[in-house]
Amino acid sequence: MTALGAPRLSRRIGEGAFLVFCWLATGIAILALAAILWSLLSQGIGGLDLDIFTKSTPAPGSEGGLLNAIMGSLMMCVVAMVGAVFIGVLAGTWLSEFARDSHYGKVIRFLNDVLLSAPSILVGLFIYTIIVAPLKGFSGFAGAVALALIAAPVITRTTEDVLRLQPIALREASVALGAPVWSTILTVIWKAAQGGMLTGALLAFARISGETAPLLFTALNNQFLSLDMTKPTANLPVVIFNFALSAYDDWRRLAWAGALLIAATVLTVTIVARILAREPRRS
Amino acid sequence: MTAAADVSRAAAVAPPRSAFGAAFDKAFEILCFSAATFLLTALGGIVVSLAIGGWPAFQAFGFGFFTSAEWDPVQEVYGSAGAVAGTLISAALALLFALPLSFGIAIFLVELCPPMLRRPIGTAVELLAGIPSIVYGMWGLFVFAPWFAKHIQMPIMMSAEPGTLWEKITTGVPNGAGVLSASIILAIMILPFIAATMRELLLTIPAQVRESAYGLGSTTFEVVRKVSIPYIRTGAIGAVMLGLGRALGETMAVTFIIGNAHGFPTSIFASGSTIASTIANEFAEATGVLHTSSLIALGLVLFIITFVVLALARLLIGRQANL
Amino acid sequence: MNAQLENPPETAVLELPPEVVKLAIKDLNFFYGQKQALFDVSVSFAANAVTALIGPSGCGKSTLLRVLNRMYSLYPGQRAQGQVLLDGEDMLSPRVDVATLRARVGMVFQKPTPFPMSIFDNVAYGVKLYEKLSKADMAARVEDSLRRAALWDEVKDKLKESGLSLSGGQQQRLCVARGIAVKPEVLLLDEPASALDPISTARLEETIAELKRDYTIVIVTHNMGQAARLSDHTGFMYLGKLIEFGETEQLFTNPVTTRARDYITGRFG
Repeated sequence: MTALGAPRLSRRIGEGAFLVFCWLATGIAILALAAILWSLLSQGIGGLDLDIFTKSTPAPGSEGGLLNAIMGSLMMCVVAMVGAVFIGVLAGTWLSEFARDSHYGKVIRFLNDVLLSAPSILVGLFIYTIIVAPLKGFSGFAGAVALALIAAPVITRTTEDVLRLQPIALREASVALGAPVWSTILTVIWKAAQGGMLTGALLAFARISGETAPLLFTALNNQFLSLDMTKPTANLPVVIFNFALSAYDDWRRLAWAGALLIAATVLTVTIVARILAREPRRS
Repeated sequence: MTAAADVSRAAAVAPPRSAFGAAFDKAFEILCFSAATFLLTALGGIVVSLAIGGWPAFQAFGFGFFTSAEWDPVQEVYGSAGAVAGTLISAALALLFALPLSFGIAIFLVELCPPMLRRPIGTAVELLAGIPSIVYGMWGLFVFAPWFAKHIQMPIMMSAEPGTLWEKITTGVPNGAGVLSASIILAIMILPFIAATMRELLLTIPAQVRESAYGLGSTTFEVVRKVSIPYIRTGAIGAVMLGLGRALGETMAVTFIIGNAHGFPTSIFASGSTIASTIANEFAEATGVLHTSSLIALGLVLFIITFVVLALARLLIGRQANL
Repeated sequence: MNAQLENPPETAVLELPPEVVKLAIKDLNFFYGQKQALFDVSVSFAANAVTALIGPSGCGKSTLLRVLNRMYSLYPGQRAQGQVLLDGEDMLSPRVDVATLRARVGMVFQKPTPFPMSIFDNVAYGVKLYEKLSKADMAARVEDSLRRAALWDEVKDKLKESGLSLSGGQQQRLCVARGIAVKPEVLLLDEPASALDPISTARLEETIAELKRDYTIVIVTHNMGQAARLSDHTGFMYLGKLIEFGETEQLFTNPVTTRARDYITGRFG
């Protein structure tokens, strides 16, 4: 290579090819996203009408909507979140405040990450064997428990991460006033971290609202609207699964509408969570 | 009691103290500890329940359960090899496609992206990660498959001379479904995860290191090859394994489009099945105890594979990645 | 008078007459795990006076301060041996409730640490732990504390706003107000002005000078000028030992030990 001239041709070709490749890779990802969103919109909008929100899933050939599925999903997700937030926040607090360096803490952290990344269908199988089979019945409750088991590790992880970010001096300042540890955590540390904890909860909610596999053998499905969670409960993902693979046009249309609904919910919640996370909170 | 103490106390008028709350401290700690241990118990419960549920299958087929690809509900003969093969192949192919693309995206976002576009494109990648897998499944089956059949499968199959090796490995029904299609959909699914992790890893490289490399006159390609990749190599491998773990366990995206045929896939366009798709398809209507047990045994196999991959990833990547 | 001693002593610690002593340390040894950080430290702090602790980084002055309110008990592996006598009673004894100790001995930290709540709630936080005050009494206590901390005029119209909305110097005075709201007897200040600009520092120093009328103050500082300005007594520490302790004016103009002289004249540290 010359001392001051342009780099060798082979270097330039290599560089050029590499740059093209990186641009191309990003382009492919954007293209995939656009294609998926476009399909959702074009196929799903057609099926979206008021009936979706007012009528329950129909028998093939008749009119209907997705009301029972939407209600069921909402119920199960909310119940799941209640349990997941309770367990997740407390577990994350334990990891951050009581177990930063302990050996047992390291084990729990690792296993939490395993649970976080475990195939969700296995969680469904687990709940089937410990709740559905012994009680001899599918239920919305079982579905909610399965979803909670998927959401809890997410909340544990995000809670621990955000609590760790709080400066140690903040804890010491509260303790120096004579405050007990639990008061310090609840009224000072949690308060300081509440933005991050909310973001974590929203992300967990986004995650479970799109999950299908864990509901296949727990909540099953229900053709009708029912608020009874001790029985099989309708839910959007399973309805979409069944309708999409069916041979009926109107069912397929409903499946696309449902898919659009789920995707819209998940994406909106994710975006809201990200926006909240970026804003520094000042009261 | 000294006179000085009297003076200062009179001035401050210290109020009476009542110490409380120390008892609650222990209770609170125990509560938090229980929550953490509950998670551990849940994980243990999953393993135990899978092992117990799958035991009849292991008992009936012994080691053959792992080596046989025969899956016949009618004859009540079950072997996991076909599903395992499908799982591993689809995940490996997915990784093969996704890895270079993820890497390109990560480099793009860190080195090449115009600052104004950085946030929107970063968000776009995150959105891709957030799309529920059932949406991927539907899109895969109803949009991608027909396109794939028409523009890729047909031309390839038409061009294969009958009797050649090429023809053998490209036989299949040109409906867009199959192991390859499933792998491509999986690749798009895990793409954003690996890209996001790689990007975070690249951002950990100190600015001075990169700047000194550029300062010596290196091209972007050279900096990436000789400085960035070696710097994050361990973490990058960990990120890959995490993507692999995800691909192994994915259910809905795969079930729609893999064709759901048991046994080893024999051509690139053949149908196949993964452990997750098999369970999803057959569990609800499993015929008999042995069928159910075999499906649960499959679940245990999947769990073990995923666990090993996750443990390796964790060893390599520490806790850097936020997934 | 500038007597050059033939053999300057290793240590020189002034004994204070017992009737002016509020807080005393006897034979204190402190350990971070296996590593010893304080060696046989004995010193007394006079009531209604400011005592400064100075010394180079790592000399143990902050460690010593944090023993006085048993802050170290948060961290397993840190332990103290010896006695800390508040009005003659040993505070390190396990019979003494540590929360009560901390209510009597308050602390202000290096970096301002306002709690994520309103200014009013910040100041009221410690008080609520121990006392049930009526709304009027609480408001009076908060106002009194903010006045003593020289912050009242600046925040009286925005008590409901977040403590985080204040400037650095104001936040630190908020922490002082918070600390004195619980009516402690002793105030420990750990390099309280090191994160502040000169103007805020000056205001904080004025506040400290006022506070000593009602509180016993111990301040750790790496700023010798600050120690000279504010304190009545000063202790110089080096490598975990108390080398010299005496009246501030005497220590700064005529230090007895070689080490102290070297530090004060700027030879090291």
